[in-house]
Amino acid sequence: MSSGLALLLALIAVGGLYSATAPESTAQDSGLSVEAMAGQEIYENGCITCHGRNLQGVEDQGPSLIGVGEAAVYFQVGTGRMPLAQNEAQAQRKTPAYDDAEVNQLMAYIQANGGGPTLPDEGDLREGELAEGGELFRLNCASCHNFAGRGGALSGGKNAPALTESTDLDIYTAMLSGPQNMPVFGDNQLTPEQKRSIINYVQTLKETADPGGAGIGRAGPVPEGLVIWVVGITVCLVVCVWVGSRA
Amino acid sequence: MSTPASEEFPAGDARSGAHPGEAQPGGAQPMAGSPPVAGPGPSHAELAAMSREELVTLGGEMDGVRVVYAEPPVPPGSRLEKRAVRQVAASFLGVTLSVVAFVVLFVAWPWQLDYSGQGEGFDYAALYTPLLGLTLGSALTFLGVGVVLWAKKLMTYEVVVQDRHEGASPQIERQTTAATMLSGLNDTGIGRHTLVRRTLLLASAALGLLAVVPLVGGLIKKPGDQLFRTPWEPGMRLLGLDGVPVRPLDMRPGSLQTVFPPVEAGNRSADAVTMLIRLLPDQAQRYRPREGQEGYRWNDFVAFSKICTHAGCPVSLYEQETGLILCPCHQSQFDVTDGAKSIFGPATRSLPQLPLDVDNDGYFVATSDFTEPIGPAFWERSS
Repeated sequence: MSSGLALLLALIAVGGLYSATAPESTAQDSGLSVEAMAGQEIYENGCITCHGRNLQGVEDQGPSLIGVGEAAVYFQVGTGRMPLAQNEAQAQRKTPAYDDAEVNQLMAYIQANGGGPTLPDEGDLREGELAEGGELFRLNCASCHNFAGRGGALSGGKNAPALTESTDLDIYTAMLSGPQNMPVFGDNQLTPEQKRSIINYVQTLKETADPGGAGIGRAGPVPEGLVIWVVGITVCLVVCVWVGSRA
Repeated sequence: MSTPASEEFPAGDARSGAHPGEAQPGGAQPMAGSPPVAGPGPSHAELAAMSREELVTLGGEMDGVRVVYAEPPVPPGSRLEKRAVRQVAASFLGVTLSVVAFVVLFVAWPWQLDYSGQGEGFDYAALYTPLLGLTLGSALTFLGVGVVLWAKKLMTYEVVVQDRHEGASPQIERQTTAATMLSGLNDTGIGRHTLVRRTLLLASAALGLLAVVPLVGGLIKKPGDQLFRTPWEPGMRLLGLDGVPVRPLDMRPGSLQTVFPPVEAGNRSADAVTMLIRLLPDQAQRYRPREGQEGYRWNDFVAFSKICTHAGCPVSLYEQETGLILCPCHQSQFDVTDGAKSIFGPATRSLPQLPLDVDNDGYFVATSDFTEPIGPAFWERSS
């Protein structure tokens, strides 16, 4: 009987001791770099509500960030998509809420938790073959982003954004991380060289002038047909009336 | 016209003498509405003495033509006329200037576009084609405007009436015309030369057959099984666009790769094009294969035909989070986690699934062709 009481007391004592010391111990054994710890602070202020205390995600709020890698952070936070302004079909590009240093700290924190795709090594991200980039773009990207990179609609209010504002690194990290509904294009599927080819193609396309005159949004036959029907036929009608009228 | 002329025929003329009884009443009728030109008309001396206007009037009268109204749109010699002349001349001058500008631009304007992406400032070469079009177009427009202005402002405006008989043509004209045409046919000798006529008929029939052959030809012989099968065969590896076989570790969760069979011009064989998809872990968990197709997936990987079952467009708008495949043509949607079942839009059939496996070297292979015809409906298709 007395031994049983002693065991109970001992259990209570251990439990109390654990609950008193536990929070400090998790903070101590994180083993994060200084930059990552700064990133954790930003995370706990700005991201924790939707992505959870331990990056595990919150049901119906935000996905787990374990293993998404710094590439995903660069794309989502660097283009201002995260933090979300409101719950909507899909995050929109907007003015980034954090500066470059803060994005770097967040990247370090996320990368330290489960790793994941990293930013490409230094170097020209357009160092690729233009023709190959064009072929890969048309096969892999054009179905959603339009053949001239002007974007297009998806289901349920989502859309594939236009690539007009995207920087080289934006496109690279998007392919690596597959943000939101975009499929992932890992380095084994599209090699870094092929990614550079695609970027070269997209950016060259954007900078190239329209050799045939007005591009009309470069969105293809629909706006072009609209212009010729509305403007062209109106002009024809006016000319017909003028020719047929008496002086 | 014909009646006065026929009166000049000699009495023994075959045509006027053939049916004298009918020619008389028929010939009298057109006289009622005909111009009052009687007799043999003016003599040579009289014709020589006539002015151009008189000749025109005479010619009109002979055809029953009367000028009701004729007036220049602007008074001759007036300031209005001079202004119109200047407008027309300016338009024609515009043609010349536009053509000169076209030639100068064609020769001198920079035309080589800068594709390097390093150029600074505006690329004037981008205006080369538009400027050529503009100058050429304005030359033609100036020509058209000049001609229309000319006609509207300088040419005489006139209303002219020509008398026409009422109802059918007189009997005599109808019969003589028919006789003339039959005589022409008779002169070809087609009635007499039976061989020519028959071979011509035969040739016509052959030419007609030529038009029918491609239409009917397709119905004679069955097209075989080309609509029912694709180049995929058991054990064939799945190749990327660059011809490299795909391994499971090549693709991360939530990725899609378009794959082709290892046949000649495989990435150009339109009916074999296949989407290899690696599902996200939770999608793989709730994945529901179609009945009888339970073994078609390989772990998290599934492969579906890229050809829409509605109208054959390439469906590759893949939403990795929702697992939906969208067709850009008519907005059909297929749920990958439900065996690519059609859930929205005009497509009614699921995308056909390619049964997957991994060979001993670790590369993806198809264990068979698609087990149903890919793409849209056709006549002999059973499902």
